[in-house]
Amino acid sequence: MAAIIQVEGVSKEYRLGVIGNGSLYKDFQSWMAKIRGKEDPWTKIGAVSKFGKRDRFWALKDVSFEVEAGDRLGIIGRNGAGKSTLLKILSRITAPTAGTIRMRGRLASLLEVGTGFHQELTGRENIYLNGAILGMTKADIDRNFDEIVAFSEIESEFIDTPVKRYSSGMYVRLAFAVAAHLTSEILVADEVLAVGDAKFQDKCLGKMRDVSLNQGRTVLFVSHNIGALAKLCNKGILLEHGTLTATGEAAEVIRIYENSLENN
Amino acid sequence: MKAAGNASTGDWDIVITAKDKLLSFDFKELFQYRDLIKLLIRRDFVAVYKQTILGPLWFLFHPIMSTIVYMFVFGNIAKIGTDNIPRPLFYFSGTMLWTFFATTLQKSSDTFIVNAPIYGKVYFPRFSMPIVYAVNSFFTLAIQFVCLLAIYVVYLVSGYSFHPSWWLLATPILVLQTALLSLGIGIMVSALTTRYRDFRNLIHFGLQMMMYVTPVVYPMSEVPARLKPLVMLNPLTPVMELFRHALLGGGEGNLTLWAVSLVETAAVFWLGMRVFNHNERTFIDVV
Ligand SMILES: Nc1ncnc2c1ncn2[C@@H]1O[C@H](COP(=O)(O)OP(=O)(O)OP(=O)(O)O)[C@@H](O)[C@H]1O
Ligand SMILES: [Mg+2]
Repeated sequence: MAAIIQVEGVSKEYRLGVIGNGSLYKDFQSWMAKIRGKEDPWTKIGAVSKFGKRDRFWALKDVSFEVEAGDRLGIIGRNGAGKSTLLKILSRITAPTAGTIRMRGRLASLLEVGTGFHQELTGRENIYLNGAILGMTKADIDRNFDEIVAFSEIESEFIDTPVKRYSSGMYVRLAFAVAAHLTSEILVADEVLAVGDAKFQDKCLGKMRDVSLNQGRTVLFVSHNIGALAKLCNKGILLEHGTLTATGEAAEVIRIYENSLENN
Repeated sequence: MKAAGNASTGDWDIVITAKDKLLSFDFKELFQYRDLIKLLIRRDFVAVYKQTILGPLWFLFHPIMSTIVYMFVFGNIAKIGTDNIPRPLFYFSGTMLWTFFATTLQKSSDTFIVNAPIYGKVYFPRFSMPIVYAVNSFFTLAIQFVCLLAIYVVYLVSGYSFHPSWWLLATPILVLQTALLSLGIGIMVSALTTRYRDFRNLIHFGLQMMMYVTPVVYPMSEVPARLKPLVMLNPLTPVMELFRHALLGGGEGNLTLWAVSLVETAAVFWLGMRVFNHNERTFIDVV
């Protein structure tokens, strides 16, 4: 099978601390002070970052890998390793500082459930809105509508009620149900399953596995839940401080990750 | 649309690079997201009016009140002429186009800050939001237009005669130009505000200043000669004058001035798109 995603030498640099002073007037004062060789009046006392004098920081360094169509790739790493940054770049939420990414088909990103839900709109209206935000066309949603409602287990009389009258559980279920029925070729999910109840989480994992196995959909999945990763993913990559340190079968990468945790 | 798994053939669909291309704007992509744009328009519309009793009638409250105040202040006290156009029609038409301009500009200048939560979670063409704002202010304009027609009819019935010109055919272009001009300025400011919040405070003041140099409450013919260049520099001036001339007669249609303002509008819009497109790539890192 050919690659559906090709990540080539991707790096991401973030600027740390407060960028500028957020105010034209203060930036102007800092700038004047610099010209006259005086001390910047807006330097914060004790504001030396843990990265010393540098105010820039590489969240990803020269990351390259490929994903084949139908793979369920687990992205593994400790807090701050750069997993979310990688997903954000893949989702086109932020641009990389260097490198190139090529993809086939459409990508839907689930960095949160219920993005764009509006309290005043009904469940039905929100299904359409949320689906469209995640890249579905109206026709896609029409076709999947009944299935989405069934999956959410929301009683049909509630579907035309504004979601502000929903219990928080109903709200999350509806949001998940839309996500589970996305039609894009690539699905990217970042720890989103952490919110639902355990049973519903299992149902969602099962559904993701299903769409990948039966419809050849590609899934990129970030989670700290090793159990969920092992259940869902067949491939894995390991990120450490922004660098890619292992790729391969999911079980193998998980083992490397667990070893590295023990050695620290 | 491609079937899932059919990945071995064809070119890449999405290519992400570190540098943005100059002059890259993806109209095709915007079209692909048309269903989303429609739903967002509906969402904004419904969100505002679901809980008011008068609903869309509120759209008429503001221009009617402004017209009454202007008639009193500029008509009765300052005694500024209106090119022989009945005062209610003169002020109402001016207010309605000005409000369209100002609302679109104000809303679109908040694009990045207001939408940061959603822009930070999912990708869709960032320019969809300013489009939504412009279309929603256009609905307001359309409702106000019906009200303008009603006043018009009252004058016709009471024996008043109007002399609309062939310029009437140009009104859709005038409205579109107003939209592009306000969007151009708005999205430029929206990019600047992600760095300097100051610009947000300036917008309100800036709009107020701009209204003084736009013939909203006075016609060009009442402007003293030495101030004329200042008012004419404003690309909205010929648009406003022509809009009234087209609908109500009075004043004159100056083709040269309009041509200049069209060029200015195109330049502002292009520059706005440049700044917006550049900013949308990484703004989320710093908000
Ligand atoms: N907008 C930003 N500006 C500056 N630094 C950032 C920004 N976003 C993330 N970072 C930094 O980049 C690094 C990687 O962050 P990222 O969110 O990708 O980590 P992660 O692997 O998802 O961690 P976690 O498991 O905790 O979610 C972190 O050190 C974080 O502080
Ligand atoms: Mg994360």
